[in-house]
Amino acid sequence: MKVVPVGRARSYLPEFAVLVTLVAAPIALPYLGFSTDLLTRVLNWGLIGLGFDILFGLTGLLSFGQAAFYGVGGFVTAYLLVSGALNSVWLALAAGTAAAGFAGLVVGWLAVRRIGIYFTMITLAFGQMAYFMENSPLSDYTGGENGIPGVPVPVLGFGEHAIRISAGLPMYTLFAVIFFAGYVLARRIVGSPVGAVLLAIKENTGRVAMLGHNVPAYKLTAFVIAALYAGLAGGLLGSFQSYMPPDAFALETSGQLVVQTIVGGAGTLVGPLVGAAVWMWLRDNLQLVPGLATLWKLVLGLAFIVLVIGLRRGICGEIAHWWSERRNYAALRAAEAATQAIEATGERIVKPSVRRARDVMLPLPSPAIGASDIALDVRALARHYGGLKAVDGVSFKVMRGSIHAVIGPNGAGKSTLFKMLLDEISPSSGDVLLFGAKVTGSGVSHAAQFGIAKSNQLNQLFPNLSVRQNLRIAALGRRRGPLRLDLLRPADSLPEVEEQVGSVLALLDLVGRADTPAHILAYGEKRRLEIGMALATSPNVLLLDEPLAGMSPAERAATCALIRDIARACTIVIVEHDLDAIFELAERITVLYEGRLLADGSPEEIRRNQRVQDAYLGGLHAHESA
Amino acid sequence: MSLLEVERINTLYGDSHVLFDLSIRVEQGEVVALLGRNGAGKTTTLRSIMGVLAPNSGQIRLDGRPIAGLPPSAIANMGVQLVPEERAVFGGLTVEENLRIAALTAPNAWSFERVYEVFPRLKERRKSSGRTLSGGEQQMLAIARALIRDARMILLDEPFEGLAPLIVRDLVTVARNLAAEGRTMIVVEQNIAAALSFANRVYGLNNGHVVFEGTAADLSANPELARDFLGVAS
Amino acid sequence: MPSWPALLSQAFNGLALGALLALVSSGLTIILGTLGVLNFAHGALFAVGAYAVFVILQYTQSFVLALVIGCGFMLLLGFLLERIIIRLFYNRPHEDQILVTYGVGIVLVECIRAAFGGNAQRVPTPSWGQGATQLGFLIYPTYRLQLIAIIAMLLLSLYLVLYRTSMGLVVRAGIENPGMVGILGINLRRTFLLVFAIGVVAVGLAGMLYAPVVAVTPDMGANFMAQSFVVIVLGGLGSFPGAVIGGLIAGEIISLTSAFNSSYSEVMLYALMALLLVLRPQGLFGSEGRV
Repeated sequence: MKVVPVGRARSYLPEFAVLVTLVAAPIALPYLGFSTDLLTRVLNWGLIGLGFDILFGLTGLLSFGQAAFYGVGGFVTAYLLVSGALNSVWLALAAGTAAAGFAGLVVGWLAVRRIGIYFTMITLAFGQMAYFMENSPLSDYTGGENGIPGVPVPVLGFGEHAIRISAGLPMYTLFAVIFFAGYVLARRIVGSPVGAVLLAIKENTGRVAMLGHNVPAYKLTAFVIAALYAGLAGGLLGSFQSYMPPDAFALETSGQLVVQTIVGGAGTLVGPLVGAAVWMWLRDNLQLVPGLATLWKLVLGLAFIVLVIGLRRGICGEIAHWWSERRNYAALRAAEAATQAIEATGERIVKPSVRRARDVMLPLPSPAIGASDIALDVRALARHYGGLKAVDGVSFKVMRGSIHAVIGPNGAGKSTLFKMLLDEISPSSGDVLLFGAKVTGSGVSHAAQFGIAKSNQLNQLFPNLSVRQNLRIAALGRRRGPLRLDLLRPADSLPEVEEQVGSVLALLDLVGRADTPAHILAYGEKRRLEIGMALATSPNVLLLDEPLAGMSPAERAATCALIRDIARACTIVIVEHDLDAIFELAERITVLYEGRLLADGSPEEIRRNQRVQDAYLGGLHAHESA
Repeated sequence: MSLLEVERINTLYGDSHVLFDLSIRVEQGEVVALLGRNGAGKTTTLRSIMGVLAPNSGQIRLDGRPIAGLPPSAIANMGVQLVPEERAVFGGLTVEENLRIAALTAPNAWSFERVYEVFPRLKERRKSSGRTLSGGEQQMLAIARALIRDARMILLDEPFEGLAPLIVRDLVTVARNLAAEGRTMIVVEQNIAAALSFANRVYGLNNGHVVFEGTAADLSANPELARDFLGVAS
Repeated sequence: MPSWPALLSQAFNGLALGALLALVSSGLTIILGTLGVLNFAHGALFAVGAYAVFVILQYTQSFVLALVIGCGFMLLLGFLLERIIIRLFYNRPHEDQILVTYGVGIVLVECIRAAFGGNAQRVPTPSWGQGATQLGFLIYPTYRLQLIAIIAMLLLSLYLVLYRTSMGLVVRAGIENPGMVGILGINLRRTFLLVFAIGVVAVGLAGMLYAPVVAVTPDMGANFMAQSFVVIVLGGLGSFPGAVIGGLIAGEIISLTSAFNSSYSEVMLYALMALLLVLRPQGLFGSEGRV
């Protein structure tokens, strides 16, 4: 979805435009070679496309098996009607849609456990499985190769005055109404918190999990939504044709959906509709041209290849991109100029007086469990890799409200230890307690829900989203829990979330950059945003992994000030190599060496500790002529 | 003219600015040690030289020829060879196959026998697959791959890390022999004693800057010089 | 319970189908492992091979000659595809690679359809493959036995290339750690061209060899491609031994199931894949974390 830095009120222009198009189409388009029946078919494809675009365009999951749900919806609906089990077409449609949704739940549960090409292969395989199931084992119900003929059309009203929705304009109207309703619903889903999380999943899946969201559950939600739309469209197809064809399940069908979506533009919701219009038009009209009759698909295939190579956003996508570039041209150029200015001076313009005056208070998070003084209790944590002991039985305690540093020479096991603190990797033995609750074994999302968040050494931002949107995804995590299906409310409609985002923006001194896409920010600003995202989850314990890495001296000083500010609201654990900064910041220091705890105490104690000196100097004192 | 001249390079790792106007030089036949705490930019320097990470500005010259921005395979074929920190031994290939692939594009490749003379252990294990080798054996193989290419300049990234003291002692002997033969090397190490036992000159790095340059002998005699780029708090 | 001759017959069918799948999947898996591209044109290339042999046999009686010329044609096609299209996508996301190869597949199939129409064509069994052979109490079509033998030899050659040549060494190392291969002075991109071409030849040969057994239609490769996806998931992405063993297993599952209940034969394979995904997603020979 193209990010448009725009004001708060959502524009209803797209809905209006779609409505106008739907009304005008049967009047104007027949002159261009579109029959009413053809338009109805295009709408059917557009309907599947709405759900598919939420799965692929929004969440980034490429499925080559949507035909399975199209077919399930269609055949369940058709069978219920033709066998006499149900009289009402509307009820049968609902049943078919629900069946498709259920199938989506089962297949999706298996498929979303894998990513990338694995996911695509799995969906393709299940699509094939459904095809063969229809063909043979279930042919008593599905009619096998012959499909199910005699599917009735829907009826409005009851008794003698009931109106049968016949072919032609009435059927078109029905499809148009359903498509429009589906479109409005899809727009709301995209604009909801769920939609925001799905978009973030496409941008940076790992980060979304670290912010407390249950990523597999959200992916499954998108998958089921796509299956529901496909199932409804399948049921409608049977009514429209008075016949449910077996090729609804074919691999070709899934492929056609993908091609149409890319041609029309993924991520625009109407892309699949436009793509279907192009496909159908080419098919029906090129066939009339002598010599070109059977080549329409070849032409389409070549156009498709060219589009994927050069115009990847598709028709609607390129138009939307061009439109938003024009509208935001001035704002974007200004933002880029600001970035260059910051990077040229090599320093952030520090305005400490301004910040002190504001004295920003973060909402004090309450720990999920318990109120003891020990924020983090690390107990005999160990991690082995075969014979190598990366971390070997390390125990220490982090006191509530303190700034605690973990240092040690290379290979000491710091990053492995850090990852185990929030269960990014599982320890071989030992565990970690957060205010008495066991974090180990629960996964990063649950660790975040308990109240432990990490700022990464290498920035893990959502590059195409604005700073505000980045922070919002973070703030939504702990506020809403690991999974919440609030599909209908706007993403920015939770006042506590927006307030949290506002205070973090102020603390980071990024208010002026709130609507800038994250990838445009200067490096120092990106580092601050990285910390800010962890902060926006209202953590009880904030882990900072080398927050000063790659910074100029001025930026270091500013970041240290920021860290001290943050320490007023939560407990902080830092891993850093910049020992000068550490000795100024930390109240307590744990030293690791070769995977084991070497020392643990106040900065003065560590400074005086001879063994620590030796560890860092690599036995320089012990050096003799070897 | 030095064999290698690194001139005011700035290298980024993703978005992170790691090297700031860094300059070092290495003469033919020298062994130079790069010391510093981790995060100082030592590995990034080696990677910049090898072409794995292209510097964003500045220049690197090998024998006077500019090499910054060239792909690693091109730089390898000019006689530079990196022995990475993670060793990167091909687990699915045997020891012999690892050596064979290393020798493929080397015009003056050593014979297997000559390599086995330096590392007899590898000869015993020559049919074993890479993933079955111990840490020390993997390190030997990684260095052997550089040797079989007859590399003019070998970049060693933490060659002694994680190895038992006995193995470190053996490897140090190998390194000292290579140095004595006149092979040019740059060594990044945390084990200062080991590094200084065969290095000629030392650069100390801190936060992506060179903060110290001197001879190994000087540093050994006056360890307090190392305090601000190696020690714990100034 | 089916009779012994029926079971044995299906077991041999399974070997033939399995050998075919092994060949198709080997090509797919080495392209995936080396170039990182999942080739969605693989099914179309299968059909191209079958039609190539159909055309060549109009001009010559010798099936072997047709195979050789067909190989040359597939090699050229593979070259052109890599140079013109595939190489543009090495740095692009996986989804884009899938999409563009899918597009190539559509174009190839439509070209076939345009040239030959959609009706099934027949490729005659070679003269040396006609008739049936007596195997104990079983009488089995001779050509299918020869098919198994020929494919076995082809897979053996592929094995020799991968494990006994320098190029194979580079390919195997490149699948594991492409960066290190570059550091050792080897330009891996140059190998991509050859690997892609070999993969295309492999699947094309499968199509050529299969042509006498079945009706030759433009869509004949689609189902094979879907099945080869299951095979490489079963065998482990990027693993040549996995593709071979996985192919044989898949072939046997399909054929033996059909001895008991022909309507479930295809479905069983996908059900196995579902099970695998839950229990052992990296497959037989794949490495964890390649997901």
